[in-house]
Amino acid sequence: MYGGGNTFEAIKAEGLEEEDARKMAEFEGRIAQGEKIEPDDWMPRLYRQQLIRMIEQHAHSEIIGALPEGTWITRAPGFRRKLALMAKVQDEVGHAQLLYSAAETLGKSREEMLTDLINGKSKYSNVFNYPTYTWADSCIISWLIDAGAIVNQMANSKGSYGPYCRALERICAEEAFHLKYGHDSVVYMATGSSIQRQMVQEALNRWWSQIMTFFGPSDKLSVHTETLMRWKVKMASNDECRQQYLDMYVPKILELGLTIPDPLLKKNEDTGQWEYTEPDWDEFRRVINGDGPCNAERLGVRRMAEERGAWVRLALKNPTAKYVRPLA
Amino acid sequence: MSLKSLDPRINRLNLPDGEQPPMEPKAAFDQFETYEVFAQKRDNTPFTYAGPVHAPNADVAFLFAKEQYSRRSACSGLWVVQTRHIMVSPYANDDECIYDTFKVEIPEHTAWPLESYEVFHLKKRGKAHTHIGRVGATSYQEAYHKAKQAFAAQHPAVNMWVVKSKNVLQSAEEDRDMWLTLPEKKYREPAAYKVLDRIKSFKEKQQKALNK
Repeated sequence: MYGGGNTFEAIKAEGLEEEDARKMAEFEGRIAQGEKIEPDDWMPRLYRQQLIRMIEQHAHSEIIGALPEGTWITRAPGFRRKLALMAKVQDEVGHAQLLYSAAETLGKSREEMLTDLINGKSKYSNVFNYPTYTWADSCIISWLIDAGAIVNQMANSKGSYGPYCRALERICAEEAFHLKYGHDSVVYMATGSSIQRQMVQEALNRWWSQIMTFFGPSDKLSVHTETLMRWKVKMASNDECRQQYLDMYVPKILELGLTIPDPLLKKNEDTGQWEYTEPDWDEFRRVINGDGPCNAERLGVRRMAEERGAWVRLALKNPTAKYVRPLA
Repeated sequence: MSLKSLDPRINRLNLPDGEQPPMEPKAAFDQFETYEVFAQKRDNTPFTYAGPVHAPNADVAFLFAKEQYSRRSACSGLWVVQTRHIMVSPYANDDECIYDTFKVEIPEHTAWPLESYEVFHLKKRGKAHTHIGRVGATSYQEAYHKAKQAFAAQHPAVNMWVVKSKNVLQSAEEDRDMWLTLPEKKYREPAAYKVLDRIKSFKEKQQKALNK
């Protein structure tokens, strides 16, 4: 589990007032009662668009996120770590398949999504535009990036769209081991030799600002955000997720004798809120729009897979086949 | 110039560096048809909807289904059905039963013999369709009516799927050993990772060092 829960572009909502008022009331009534929306139900255009974008970006984050971790499989220290990392990366790619299918039920085909990814039209989690220099970087991703994704996912699995909930339920079940594996691999290094400790500390220093941007910039409560929250598309604000994450993981990092590279990070006991140095959101925007250390590599590898696999798809193609979207 | 990476395997791919022309949009149908997968967790439990796969034919769909839906959790059987072979009823509200809200014409019973149809029920929105039984009929409409008579009273449902039994690719009894290796892969279980002792002894060591 690598992403999910937030989209990286501003919400564009047009035509909400053109929606059928009676159908809208029925739709909102269903969600207010805690009933799920299924693919054949009427839904407002904004709901459909926003869900497609969110699930699609989540799917992209899974296949792209598999690259910086997958690169360490051959160099993982020992057979046990190799087996576990292979299984984890396989899970992530499987999650992408589940998520693409869930997005397809809303009417966008898998081919369109993959083309949009390669052409930069749709995004993936920005943290994967950064490289993994050492084995310790891959351990930090497995533990602390996955942990961030889990915070998002647990919230989203209570959302209103049936197919996304079903996919997330399976994903969360498979994920349970990723977090434990990641924690184990970081603990192993952090309690090891001084060289191991140094390696893991340096990796944490490299990844901390990415971790802090993982949930996206602070989202001021706009009318649209409120609408999406009422529709249970967005389940928590970016800041709420970040606060929850810091509550859960800062103590676990500190107990290993590691330091967090932010001198301002502390919990304000009066407000109950974490205070921290605001991450560099200009860099975040620059990188997500293409100017990061690994953007070209990630999309280049994805594009190569697509182009060099074209003949296989062509050879297997059934000329009488017609596209049918998945059912649920 | 080719793209430079920290990963030597990526350098060997000689990917082009710099701005690339956008990839052409693909034809509406570039890849594979969709199949729906049902999995049985244990013997004598009903087959339950697991999710879709994309595949060029039923055999490959089965292989993908096995990887995707029975790789990580206990399984004793798999069914794979091409999506277009499944007839889907409308969805009812959670407090209704689809058989009360949705009517289809009762067909004239003309053709023989009866064919077998599998019936799946969705108990509640957001849950997964579950196999509820089998009926004999000569059309999907008739199968729907037979299902209503047979199952509606005892098994209310918000949605139902009907599929001809002959269109369900079922795992064979003698192939069950494909799932036997699942319990061997303990490294995929959270329980395989026990860090607390290690953290505890690390903290004690640090405390001792401090006390000195």
